[in-house]
Amino acid sequence: MFFRMLLAKLARFATRLRGGGSAFPGLVLLKLQPQVLEKTLGSLPGGVVFVTGSNGKSTTTAMLAQLLRHHGVQVFTNPAGGNLPQGLASAVVASATLAGRVKADIAVLEVDEAYGPHISELLRPDWVVVTNIQLDQLNRFGEPEHVFDLVYTLASRAKKGVVVNSGDPNLAVLGGRTHATGLHTHSVAMSETATSRQAHGLVSAPLIFDDEVTAGGSPVATLVDCVGTIASVEVSGNVIDVAIPVPGLHYGVDAALAIGVASVLRDGALDHAAITKAFAAGQPVYGRGEVISYRGRDLAITMQKNLPSLQVNLAAMTEPAERVWVAVDEGTPDPSWIFDADVSILDHVDVVTGTKAHQWALLLEYRGIPYGKIIEDTQEALDHITSLPHNNTPIRAIVNYEQMMLVRRLAGYKDLEGAA
Amino acid sequence: MSIVIARVLPELLSINGSLGNADILAATLTRMGHAVTVTDVSSVSDVATPPDAVCVGSGSTSTLQPALTALVPLATALQGWASNGAVFFAVGTGWDVLGNDITVNDDQALPGIGIFPSSADHPTGRFAGEVAGVDYKGRETAGYINQVGISTLHDGQPLVTITRHAKPLASDEGIVHGPLFGTKLGGPALSLNPHLRDDVIDAVLARRGLGSVAECQAPGFREFHGRVDQLAATAREKIRQRLR
Repeated sequence: MFFRMLLAKLARFATRLRGGGSAFPGLVLLKLQPQVLEKTLGSLPGGVVFVTGSNGKSTTTAMLAQLLRHHGVQVFTNPAGGNLPQGLASAVVASATLAGRVKADIAVLEVDEAYGPHISELLRPDWVVVTNIQLDQLNRFGEPEHVFDLVYTLASRAKKGVVVNSGDPNLAVLGGRTHATGLHTHSVAMSETATSRQAHGLVSAPLIFDDEVTAGGSPVATLVDCVGTIASVEVSGNVIDVAIPVPGLHYGVDAALAIGVASVLRDGALDHAAITKAFAAGQPVYGRGEVISYRGRDLAITMQKNLPSLQVNLAAMTEPAERVWVAVDEGTPDPSWIFDADVSILDHVDVVTGTKAHQWALLLEYRGIPYGKIIEDTQEALDHITSLPHNNTPIRAIVNYEQMMLVRRLAGYKDLEGAA
Repeated sequence: MSIVIARVLPELLSINGSLGNADILAATLTRMGHAVTVTDVSSVSDVATPPDAVCVGSGSTSTLQPALTALVPLATALQGWASNGAVFFAVGTGWDVLGNDITVNDDQALPGIGIFPSSADHPTGRFAGEVAGVDYKGRETAGYINQVGISTLHDGQPLVTITRHAKPLASDEGIVHGPLFGTKLGGPALSLNPHLRDDVIDAVLARRGLGSVAECQAPGFREFHGRVDQLAATAREKIRQRLR
């Protein structure tokens, strides 16, 4: 282990000299020692928790890690988005000693839903937490049925059990199936009051199942309500109000899941003051509702990774923004789904950017939403949108994942998502 | 009298922007100065008003059987609309279920509604990627196909001859047979290909004796038409460049 870890750490040192980080050290380590994840993380006393799903993985993982830390638990976790094998291994390179020892009580890891089954062969999880199954980009996943199968495969490999967001009907069925196999299955529920706060609700994928068996039993936590940046979560018979990073039902769902999972991991022994403190200290996860600054102008990052991502983020807007920038590139090979989105909160768009800008502009034309300029180049567009007159409210930057990364980099934010 | 566009089984057949085609037709006709009504058809209680155009979106694998089941009580009405010359624009699974039959799992043949003279075969495997080619009138056409299965035409002609694609794919795509248009071009194919949009609209207007897109002089329409044509042409050109 010593020399392999040394080489990986040298690779990490070299990539960081170049600026930022990357998944390269993890790739090196996995190549040299394919079983490194099991060797370094598989024997942590508190076990390994995987957080997976279509959306909300990064935020739920960050919230759960924060929550456990505020209960005195030493947590190993991967940076947001570093959810492929090499990202996990890079996180190990960053934290482990040369002997391969990771000083932590528990590993809480965000895991890509497509790679989940493969990752579970490298590191078997004790618990699998599933946030949701939503319509993702079909070009990547084929169909949501495929995603369901991948997530079910991962969940069924949990050593101890699974925790699902039962507000997603797909996961209610998934939980029913894992429960039927004898796996401990816990649910986190979403109240009707909470889900009705946003017009489009939880935007679960419209899957149709032959079996309607659901896990049943009492939920370990319930999202009672979600208003503005306050989520009210019931756990162990008490309702706790916690601060979420930015308004949005989806962040409330993530908070309820994190609290529910923490309750399961700690057998219900949660300190309410610690929960409140943990959430009060929480920050938006990289690019998710984050506000970044460029030449003195704030840009509120609004993700459009896929239809549900765009829909819930737009639904969290309470009024049209003064300045709106839409940027989509090849990271979204087929943006057809934008035609399913309710974009009526946008009364105009100032700039449309990226190689898919013209497809977005067509949507705006057919919806009768006026737009200013199409500027394909992101740097040029950033300079233009930030030079427009304004009343000091942040520019609403509706961007796909790759444009989010690019805009952050152009704005001088050197930390790369997924880099450890 | 309002032009009626029916969206069939939108709760099942609407994946990946494929019902955006109905929005595109409605928005364009409205810009042309026509009154437009968009209705959703999910049960026999929804079929009272015969539509001028019928849009059917695509669905995922698990929606195929429920869609076929839900179409059974609607079949007579849909066939009647087709006989009366209503214009159909159907995408992916929506086209498949309106065809003669669908073969799934290699051997199980499920009966379709029999409006399109075509058969669908859903073997394993999937094509996902951008494509470009020319349509049945020789016009540049492009889009994104994300679809299992192949289709056999028993009448009519392919809607598009695909000449550029990133992975192996049959060159013939879709069907046009009188006022019946079916395609595997995913999502809002009419957005990227406004020449097909105009064909559908012209067919709708012809059966009402309301002129054509080319003749329309409604205030602002020609400017709108020019803008979306230019945007779509640029978007298609980018697809072609990516496929070089």
